[in-house]
Amino acid sequence: MASILIVEDEAAINELVKRNLQLVGHQCISVFDGKAAVSEIQHQSYDLMILDIMLPGLDGFEVIKQANETPTIFLTAKNSLPDRIKGFSMGADDYLTKPFEMLELLARVAAVLRRTQKTASYFEAGNVKIDFSSHQVFHDGQLVECTPKEYELLEVLVNNRNIALSRERLLELVGGYDFAGDTRTVDVHIQKLRKKLGWEDRIKTVYKLGYRLEVG
Amino acid sequence: MKQRTFLTTLALFLFFFNLGIFIVSVAMFRDTMNRAEERSLGEHYFIASALIKDFNAVESRGTDLDGSLSSLLQPYGYLSGDNKTGLAFYKNSQLVYSSKDATVLQNNSLEPPGNESRLATIRKVDDRTYVIVSGKLPVPYGSYTLVYLYDTTEAINSWSCLKNILFLAGFVLSVLLAFGLLIVLNRIFRPLKQISRISKDIANGAYETRLPVSGHDELTEMSQSFNHMAEEIQRQMTELKDAADKKQQFVDNFAHELRTPLTAIYGYAEYMQKAVLSEDDRLSALNYIMSESRRLQTVAFQLLELANLQNNQITCKELKVSSLFETVRQTLYGKLTEKDIQIEFSSEIGTIRGDACLMESLLINLIDNAIKACGKGGNIIISAAREAGKKTLSVRDNGKGMTPEIISQITEPFYRGEKSRNRSDGGAGLGLAICKQIASSHGAELSFSSRLGEGTTAKITFTT
Repeated sequence: MASILIVEDEAAINELVKRNLQLVGHQCISVFDGKAAVSEIQHQSYDLMILDIMLPGLDGFEVIKQANETPTIFLTAKNSLPDRIKGFSMGADDYLTKPFEMLELLARVAAVLRRTQKTASYFEAGNVKIDFSSHQVFHDGQLVECTPKEYELLEVLVNNRNIALSRERLLELVGGYDFAGDTRTVDVHIQKLRKKLGWEDRIKTVYKLGYRLEVG
Repeated sequence: MKQRTFLTTLALFLFFFNLGIFIVSVAMFRDTMNRAEERSLGEHYFIASALIKDFNAVESRGTDLDGSLSSLLQPYGYLSGDNKTGLAFYKNSQLVYSSKDATVLQNNSLEPPGNESRLATIRKVDDRTYVIVSGKLPVPYGSYTLVYLYDTTEAINSWSCLKNILFLAGFVLSVLLAFGLLIVLNRIFRPLKQISRISKDIANGAYETRLPVSGHDELTEMSQSFNHMAEEIQRQMTELKDAADKKQQFVDNFAHELRTPLTAIYGYAEYMQKAVLSEDDRLSALNYIMSESRRLQTVAFQLLELANLQNNQITCKELKVSSLFETVRQTLYGKLTEKDIQIEFSSEIGTIRGDACLMESLLINLIDNAIKACGKGGNIIISAAREAGKKTLSVRDNGKGMTPEIISQITEPFYRGEKSRNRSDGGAGLGLAICKQIASSHGAELSFSSRLGEGTTAKITFTT
């Protein structure tokens, strides 16, 4: 989907972020210091940059100055208010502190990409096509009737594809607070989606956890 | 304060000045009147004695005295001729002669005392002031009274003129004084104003503000002590700020050292739980989790060591320097050959007092840092020597060196020369903090000297 530059000097965390973003289909390039980041940005344009502040060579604040307005999310251990304010005032689109949760990182990445108009307006997997702008789902080119809840659930699964989501998390992400129902409701909706889209083997039940949409 | 001083001084001055003028003018008035009186008395005496002679002469000729009185008195009326004097002559309180000013004497019977003494009075009639001297002629002419009149209006006028001039001059002088006083007070109070302004500045946080110092008086002294106070405040504020900065730095660094491995451990665990993984992915994620856990463990151990060193007493024994060096060499042998680093040991002293384990750890830590600074093909010299009567151990390398700014903070816990705290060549930044603690628990001092690009020397100086 989107091309993302990851600037983080700790190899373990750089790799972690990269793997998480790759799961939902982003293309990622890893660099490990400020100078490499700047030259990478100048050679190629990126849809998004995940940027640490404490970097060897140039620090994150210097990098963002030379970032040619690439949308940027700061991902840093610095969680003091002045640092956050500085980050935002220098043009960051979001600010995330370590330790972070995978789903939060993905949600924030998706939010920034949505704001900067870089999300695809449709998603295609096998013979299923989802049009995000018109909220329509097609199976073999045929329009599939979905209830609003089913559509929302589908969207959440697609946005977090390849990641196992617990029933509770799905409830949270789909309904917000006003979604009356227990975790059984999720099972019912998942069953319906599987049947409607022929995704019996794509939407996997993960033992003791929940569901995962697996897309190649 | 200034206003009060000004008003008080001015009021006091005006009061005494005007009192002075008043006393002077009163004295002058007295003087004028006295002179007029004396003159009148003199004239009176002169006329009276001349008259007696005349009376004697008239009586010796047998002429009637009363009939020739006016002709006798006539010449004396002209005596002064300037209309300022007058004469009146009474016989048994009956006016028998008066010159032109006789109206003044109307309806008043200036009865002189019975004996030959004379009565001098001052009287004001129609804006004019007169000195009146009346006295009886001596016996046998005791029934006659001679009254001499002297007009002092002019003298009084000139006195009052003088008095007015005095008061006018006094007023002008007072105004001038007021201005002068204002200027002088402004000068005197200017330093006070300055002090209050500068204190306000300092209170508002401009700690570098100082009073200008000039001259050699009490104010200068005060300015100096004020400046001294400001300096002390500034110094203490800087110290506090530095301490707070250091603490913040420590907390930030500590947080970073904890957060980075925790983030990785949590992240990979979550990744393993939620994503579909290949066997390779799974193994590398597990590797990350394990190495990050070990990192946390190292930090925890080092912190514990540091805390122990700070709290516990150590047991000192005589240690052979040669065997200490040998142990260190063996421990570091692998690292040294791997990086192709030359190491030399030289010893001028036989033994040092200390805890064997801690001294080894101290030396190994310092040499480890030297190895990191040198890189491949470096040269490290370790020497034990006696300098100025004190035993020293030093570790010298020819590596990249450090700036004085870095040296000043290098023994702070979690301090790292590299701002990003990258771990490609280092731990958490606790090594030198531990070294310093080991040195100080041995009663020794750890110091560094370095030049960028030329190398660093770490020196332990034993004070015992």
